Amino acid sequence: MTIQAASELLDTKTVASPTSFANFWNEFSKNKMAVVGLSMLLVMIVAALLSPILASHDIFTSEGITSADVYQAPSAEHWFGTDDAGKDVYSSFLYGAGVSLIVGFFAAFISIVIGGVIGIVSGFYGGRVEASLMRFTDVMMVIPDLPLMVVIIALTKPSLFNIILVIGLLGWTTTARIVRSQTLSVKSHKFVLRARAIGGGNPHIIRHHILPLVLPLMVVQAVLVISTAIINESTLSFLGLGDPTTASWGQMLYFAFQRGAMSAGATWALAVPGFGILWVVLGLTLFGQGLEQVLNPKLGSHHLMAGRPIVKSEAGKSADVLLDVQELSIHYIDNENKAPARAVEKVSFTLKEGELIGLVGESGCGKTTLMLGLLRLLPEAGQIVGGHVYFAGNDLMAMSESQIADVRWKDISIVFQGAMNALNPVRTVGDQIAEAIIKHIPEFPKENINARVLQLLDLVGINAQQKDNYPHEYSGGMRQRAMIAMALACNPRVIIADEPTTALDVMIQAQILELLDDLRKKLKLAIIFVTHDLGIVAEICDSVLVMYGGVTAEYANVDTIYNAPKHPYTQELLKAFPDLTIPEKKLTSIPGYPPKLNNLPAGCRFAPRCPLAFARCHTEQPALHSLKNGDLHLASCHLLEESK
Amino acid sequence: MTNRLRTIIRKVVWALFTVLFVLVLNFFLFRILPGDPARAGIKDPRLTQEAIEAIRVRFGVDKPVINCFESLNPIKAGSCTVNPFDTQFFVYMSNLVQGEFGFSFYTNRPVADMLRERLWNTVLLISAGQIFAIVLGCIFGLFAAWKARTTIDYAALLLGLFAWSMPTFWLGIILLYWGSGYGLPIGGKATPGMSSYPAWQQWLDIGRHLLLPTLAYTVIYMGEYMLIMRSSLLDVLSEDYILTAKAKGLSTFQIMKDHALKNAILPLMTIFAINLAYTVSGVIALESVFSWPGLGGAIYDALNRRDYPVLQGAFFMIAVSVIFANLIADLTYSYLDPRVQSE
Amino acid sequence: MITQKHILEVKNIKKHFQVGRPSIFGQDARRVHAVDGVNFHMYRGDVLALVGESGCGKTTLSMLLMGLEESTDGQIFFEGNDITRATRAERKRLSQRIQMVFQDPYESLNPTQSIEEIVSEPLVIHKLAKDPIERRLRVVNALEDSGLKPAADYLKRYPHELSGGQRQRVVIASALVLEPVLLVADEPVSMLDVSIRAEIINLLADLRRKRELTVIFITHDLGTVGYFADRVAVMYLGRIVEIGNTLDVLKNPKHPYTKALLSVIPVPNPRLRKKREILQGETPNPINIPTGCRFHPRCPVAIEACKISDPAFIEVERAHDAACLLLVK
Repeated sequence: MTIQAASELLDTKTVASPTSFANFWNEFSKNKMAVVGLSMLLVMIVAALLSPILASHDIFTSEGITSADVYQAPSAEHWFGTDDAGKDVYSSFLYGAGVSLIVGFFAAFISIVIGGVIGIVSGFYGGRVEASLMRFTDVMMVIPDLPLMVVIIALTKPSLFNIILVIGLLGWTTTARIVRSQTLSVKSHKFVLRARAIGGGNPHIIRHHILPLVLPLMVVQAVLVISTAIINESTLSFLGLGDPTTASWGQMLYFAFQRGAMSAGATWALAVPGFGILWVVLGLTLFGQGLEQVLNPKLGSHHLMAGRPIVKSEAGKSADVLLDVQELSIHYIDNENKAPARAVEKVSFTLKEGELIGLVGESGCGKTTLMLGLLRLLPEAGQIVGGHVYFAGNDLMAMSESQIADVRWKDISIVFQGAMNALNPVRTVGDQIAEAIIKHIPEFPKENINARVLQLLDLVGINAQQKDNYPHEYSGGMRQRAMIAMALACNPRVIIADEPTTALDVMIQAQILELLDDLRKKLKLAIIFVTHDLGIVAEICDSVLVMYGGVTAEYANVDTIYNAPKHPYTQELLKAFPDLTIPEKKLTSIPGYPPKLNNLPAGCRFAPRCPLAFARCHTEQPALHSLKNGDLHLASCHLLEESK
Repeated sequence: MTNRLRTIIRKVVWALFTVLFVLVLNFFLFRILPGDPARAGIKDPRLTQEAIEAIRVRFGVDKPVINCFESLNPIKAGSCTVNPFDTQFFVYMSNLVQGEFGFSFYTNRPVADMLRERLWNTVLLISAGQIFAIVLGCIFGLFAAWKARTTIDYAALLLGLFAWSMPTFWLGIILLYWGSGYGLPIGGKATPGMSSYPAWQQWLDIGRHLLLPTLAYTVIYMGEYMLIMRSSLLDVLSEDYILTAKAKGLSTFQIMKDHALKNAILPLMTIFAINLAYTVSGVIALESVFSWPGLGGAIYDALNRRDYPVLQGAFFMIAVSVIFANLIADLTYSYLDPRVQSE
Repeated sequence: MITQKHILEVKNIKKHFQVGRPSIFGQDARRVHAVDGVNFHMYRGDVLALVGESGCGKTTLSMLLMGLEESTDGQIFFEGNDITRATRAERKRLSQRIQMVFQDPYESLNPTQSIEEIVSEPLVIHKLAKDPIERRLRVVNALEDSGLKPAADYLKRYPHELSGGQRQRVVIASALVLEPVLLVADEPVSMLDVSIRAEIINLLADLRRKRELTVIFITHDLGTVGYFADRVAVMYLGRIVEIGNTLDVLKNPKHPYTKALLSVIPVPNPRLRKKREILQGETPNPINIPTGCRFHPRCPVAIEACKISDPAFIEVERAHDAACLLLVK
């Protein structure tokens, strides 16, 4: 399962754009970076606004200043000392804040407006408009902006107005690119097409559908552009191109550096204005980063993070089968203070050599979690809280990390859903197949690897010439075949096929199913087939495990499940599934929706949707009952117990 | 004709077009903006009319800017009968093609000669800084992403943001102040009189001079590369193919090396290319702090001396170098990413 | 049959997309033949299912009907007028009469709009029901007709607070609020869980009865068409290869492609496992359409003639047409 899917399971993912200000503020105030950054910025803004009051000296007059006042060390009179002209550094610092902030805000405003318009127009209209605007942006982006600013300011008058204009007019390129790609991504959503379909014109769509989703990003971008503008202004000033009538922090540094503050040891004259720039830019950067995290939350969790330790259960005894899963339970723990999401609870099943078991359930029922749990591949929040998985008699849950790594792929391999993302885009298909062989069969002769890869590709019906192609050069069906070839690379005994045909067309799906069925006969493979499609299960499986809300609803051989289902969920599911052979059948749906795994009902998990539920179902979880002595048929329902 | 070759040709053509754009921009900026070099350079009241005329001829500013227009300003119409080959624009272009940038107003020497060595000094400083910044940034970013949401990650993130927020020249000043306490050279590229020493000692001397500016440059841009590497690696590590690699039984080290790094470095490459123009900016101020004899230093001096030809030449050299470096980064990217070649 | 007036008539409609720009190296721009000559007609109150695999042109056809793509050739007559040449203003008026339900309810709702804003948006665009009370009433009606009862519970909510089935109901409500006569439903249930699909299909069937809607139901799943559609059109590579009454097509398919497609649809009954007629390979690239019958390279029963001549439609039984040379007698 992708990390994304895990987060949906936990329901922690907030929407891309918070829907109300209160909602936004709630998230924002929880983000330390954003709050610290904003506070730093606000402090400086207030200081700048109040500079006439806060300043201890008038820095705009030289009256009464003598040569003895130059570069005086900090004292009670001059908190931060004096500068090269004998003026109070503290007061200059306060006034300088205003200049730097004004330049930053106004220049950024110009840049954001230009960049925003260019980005939205080129992203939205596309075609020639986009091509020419983006070419222009690319050209402007490659031209180093600071040298160009230097040239322009040097040739014109270095007034504050000119500086703002030049910084603003040259600083829009990144914004244009970012806004364009965001516009493109918003535009690709179906809701834009829907707005068009209901008759909305371009202005309507831009205003109601593009802007609301691009603006948050532009705000984040604006924060970063302000900080760049402030740095640019200070650099220009430091090069002697500042407005001579004002005193920005950059100019304070310029004069101090030019007029011997270093040799005079007047570190305060250099440290204070530099610190001001650092303070404001750091505040903006923290604010921007925090804002980005709030508006575009990422889980910050990945597949290589150390997982949670397995809760070991008492040693049991394995049945005499290939794979014996005993009462496996998996929880997702996002926050230690919150109740865990009980994604899988006490699920058991067995798999014989050559057997094909179907694992059926709707989205969010825990079937993928169960599969990842078998090989201990859960995302960081997932924890195995009990149970055993015996493969050929050995408990996978009791193995060390390196032992389980040897079992993975060599004994049990996985075919994932959506092979586009499951194959590495920058390595050739053949290379990725060979990698598994090299890892698990080190004694395999190097010179034969190529032949083996070709043999595997041939087995799944891929031409030898396509061995060295990259995944994106394959069609969806071919990628799934390549994935199967890869899964077969080390002659595993079990293959887990996790929705391997879900995104494929029916004809390609039939090809893949036929291939899997052939392979299992030819290679005596045991296969766990995970799907939501009851039709596929009926076509190829030997036994079926129906999951609902993380527990086993019913587990039996395929004929029993379809022709004598006992659990109300299985019965209702079959009634909702279309059957081509009886098109006159009336489809009935199950009212309500599957439960959220972090908010499960107290009793039977199916009770809220069950047409046969009675009082006990809402309070007590039913246990798994064996329905046929000797033959496999298990179901968890209070009704079955009562009828016994 | 393969797709790949076509991609390369297209990129090269666009780089050349950008150079042309810079050429034209560079010419007209200096002609349209108020600080007309012809007037600005020759303001000395002591000069006689003939002397001024001689200087104008010497600098080629006696000719019309371009035919039909006095400048790009259409109101200032000029004569269309002027031979287009006898205009300042043509002279400027043909000189540039021959590597001539005119003469310095201040030293009266050819600008190309003055700047040639300085270009290499700048390239030396930037290369050293960039290499350290990229290598260190990538390593720290890698650890931060791997150990996501741990103290290591948060510390690296904060340090990166902190370094990124410092003005380059200010960090330069701090290092200068700190370094001079340790006897490190505080300016220039070589100690005077070193030329009589053996070559290895000269190189060592340059290295000593290079130390502080490189350090300043590295610290600032390392933070940025670290942040990019961290977020790009975080994205890659949550992709499904990493789960596949893990399911294949590969170790963390193998997954990092064989599956994650190349995918994570690709976005870094694009951002490196895009940011080149920006990172060059930092070097101008840095060179003036350390009196490093590079193009930035030349710009700084030219500004003080109103030496427009040098300013023009330095800007052109910087712009062309960045365009060229960007092209190389871009081509490397399309070489590394198989998805680009067959778009 | 001719006494009834066609509400929609599609005549030889084509949509070709240009891929890439004409190259300076002399290579001609290639064309994707997404829709390549489609003909059909519908009566008021009809439900026609357009079935085909991805790349068969069914979605492009829906875009052409909605005016979201411009046709390359051919005509679409809606209520007697050719709408392929409609001006922008005419097109906007048409969007009150023709509405669409999209495939992915997670994608087709703007996350920043509340349910009320989403459903009232069409009214705002068309400047209908300007009175806020009347507008609210129409929104509530549309929501309740779509099965979101009581509507007041939903008005102020946002899409992410709803489940997939509820979202799809919102999409349907926002299409119904304009009271269209023709509804184009593009894979309305393919993204939903099995237990919820039936309720959306049943909802559409109810609405069609109640509002006398004409519906074009686009799907890749032949299994579901029997429950909803009166007629089925099977598409392959930009063309319709077979069209007829649903039960005729499902029980007695004539075109080899339809036969193959029907044979590979999994049946939820392990006692009915059958021999599947699996076509090998994949649908050819719509840039290079095969000569003759476009299905011949994958056709299990193709003869020599199929490589040369493009078969025309033949009425094999009453109101059941197929395009296959083998049906020519």
